[in-house]
Amino acid sequence: MNLRESVGIALGGVRANKLRSFLTLLGTIIGVASVIAVVSFVEGMNRYVTEKILNAGANVFAVDKYGLIMSREAFDIANRRPDVTLDDADALRAGVAHASLVVAMSEGRENVRFRGKVMKAVNLHGRGAGYDVVDDIAIEDGRHLSEFDDRQRRPVCVIGPEVAEELFEQLDPIGHDIRVGDRNFEIVGVTKAKGKLMGQSQDRFVTIPVQSFKKFFQERGSLTVGIKSVDEASLPLAQQEARNIMRARRHQRPGQPDAFGITTSDTFLQLYHAVTGGLFVVTIGVAAISLLVGGIVIMNIMLVSVTERTREIGIRMALGARRRDILSQFLVESTTLSLSGGLVGIVLGGGLALLVGAISPLPAALSLPAVLMGILMSTGVGVFFGSYPAVRAARLDPIEALRYE
Amino acid sequence: MLISIRELHRVYQVGDQEVRALDGVDMDIEQNEYVAIMGPSGSGKSTLMNILGCLDTPTKGSYRLKDLEIASMSDDELARIRNQEIGFVFQTFNLLPRADALHNVELPLVYAGMHHEERRARAREALSIVGLGDRMKHRPNELSGGQRQRVAIARALVNRPSIILADEPTGNLDSRTGEEIMLAFENIWRQGNTVILVTHEQDIAEHARRVVRMKDGRVEADHPNPHPRAVAGAPVPGA
Repeated sequence: MNLRESVGIALGGVRANKLRSFLTLLGTIIGVASVIAVVSFVEGMNRYVTEKILNAGANVFAVDKYGLIMSREAFDIANRRPDVTLDDADALRAGVAHASLVVAMSEGRENVRFRGKVMKAVNLHGRGAGYDVVDDIAIEDGRHLSEFDDRQRRPVCVIGPEVAEELFEQLDPIGHDIRVGDRNFEIVGVTKAKGKLMGQSQDRFVTIPVQSFKKFFQERGSLTVGIKSVDEASLPLAQQEARNIMRARRHQRPGQPDAFGITTSDTFLQLYHAVTGGLFVVTIGVAAISLLVGGIVIMNIMLVSVTERTREIGIRMALGARRRDILSQFLVESTTLSLSGGLVGIVLGGGLALLVGAISPLPAALSLPAVLMGILMSTGVGVFFGSYPAVRAARLDPIEALRYE
Repeated sequence: MLISIRELHRVYQVGDQEVRALDGVDMDIEQNEYVAIMGPSGSGKSTLMNILGCLDTPTKGSYRLKDLEIASMSDDELARIRNQEIGFVFQTFNLLPRADALHNVELPLVYAGMHHEERRARAREALSIVGLGDRMKHRPNELSGGQRQRVAIARALVNRPSIILADEPTGNLDSRTGEEIMLAFENIWRQGNTVILVTHEQDIAEHARRVVRMKDGRVEADHPNPHPRAVAGAPVPGA
């Protein structure tokens, strides 16, 4: 009925006393801002994780020496395990019936040179055939590494677009030799750009055949074997087969823990959910406390307002306002008050998330659900903490209210 | 009969003591009467006014306004009656300090649920009638006492109520301004409205055409006023 009037009164009050309004709404602002900021981060991370990590590794799992290490003790134990070797990879390729692909992988970092230009600490991938699927990379120019390259331990490589650009600029890199560490490798392909993941470039690498890698860079040292199952349903079967084969090759008795690690995208997902879940709990705690304090302050201000305006309430009642008109007027006022705090919080929290997203590798996305949640929370605070003062106002006796000095 | 009051009692509980503010009041008021209710403080006139204005309900007895029994009404029904049938004018004006004159006058229509444009038009009209057509955008603190009271009169008139109920309307005004206000009531009455004045001042009461004297919660005297006090600018017939 007189919604516009009530909103106008509330906003007029906010404007008339900016410092008091700011202090009044600080709790609500902080509560909403922290929720918006964290939800924005988690939303951004979620989008990232689903887009990048999961798509790339669909139905893929890895067998390696370590698995997912969460503590120093676990590392010490895992470090004493036997290395995963090319023979293990061959055995898995031969034995895992539900695998469509088994790829041996090795990682290193080397300086890369071409005609006096140097790129330091470039990711060096040793890869068996089929790596394009597991690494989710496509060729822009030239060709992929072949099984023949691998078997012959040829000094050939495929490079990422960032390496191509930095070392070759306008020049076509295909057919040129680059120096990786202290070995020459002929470039046979350049991959398509993939962009960044968690702030790390995915285009700054040199991939060589895994057997070349073993020969030139790492005669000893453990491999990772990437295995892709035939389809989603056979993923657990393929894992079980891989486990059986590895246990047999390690001569493990039943009951002994695996002397190797099996990691799936699920493993990362669980870790990820554990981290973000913890973040959520902390945020909800902070937000709940801020909103509680903010709500009490709003309630206090509204009680003051009801007392200050007792006479106004009496006048309105004399002129025909029903109790519920007075109730809704004060509820609209407290809600307008807290909602304006909520909107400031949304802007602040969203701004913070976007700022951090812009200057750090952490991704952030201001999502509609987060904004709606902020609006809903601040509205809730206004209605909940505004109801007691509003009920007090509505219950006033018109005669006494009119007489109030 | 516009107002019909029978055996009206109003008892307050103050601590252990019962205070009989009204102790059996009978009164009838016709359409378009001009009545002054007089009495010293403690006589029960304020209590009677609160009940007449539907701000309060009697402990016992009957109050019928336009054949509606007010005594048994709920809060919401009372609010509706106040909105539609009563126009209050208070001693202290009781305007909303932060609203301009136009908005103050609009307020009863807001609670009547009237549409914005119609409300505006009616409020403008009422302000013009009391001679404040050029002060609509002024806030109460930008108006003189007499002007404030005229805003309050416009507000009382805007809903075209059955009763204009004025509680010491000149109490906060100097005598010249008070005369102005009494002239306004005279005109309102002449236009066919029912005016009830509550006052303890003999001078003011003498403007009315009927004077009811209250004492100790009862009607002590109730008689017509054959020689109403003349108001400057208003010819009094028969004088």
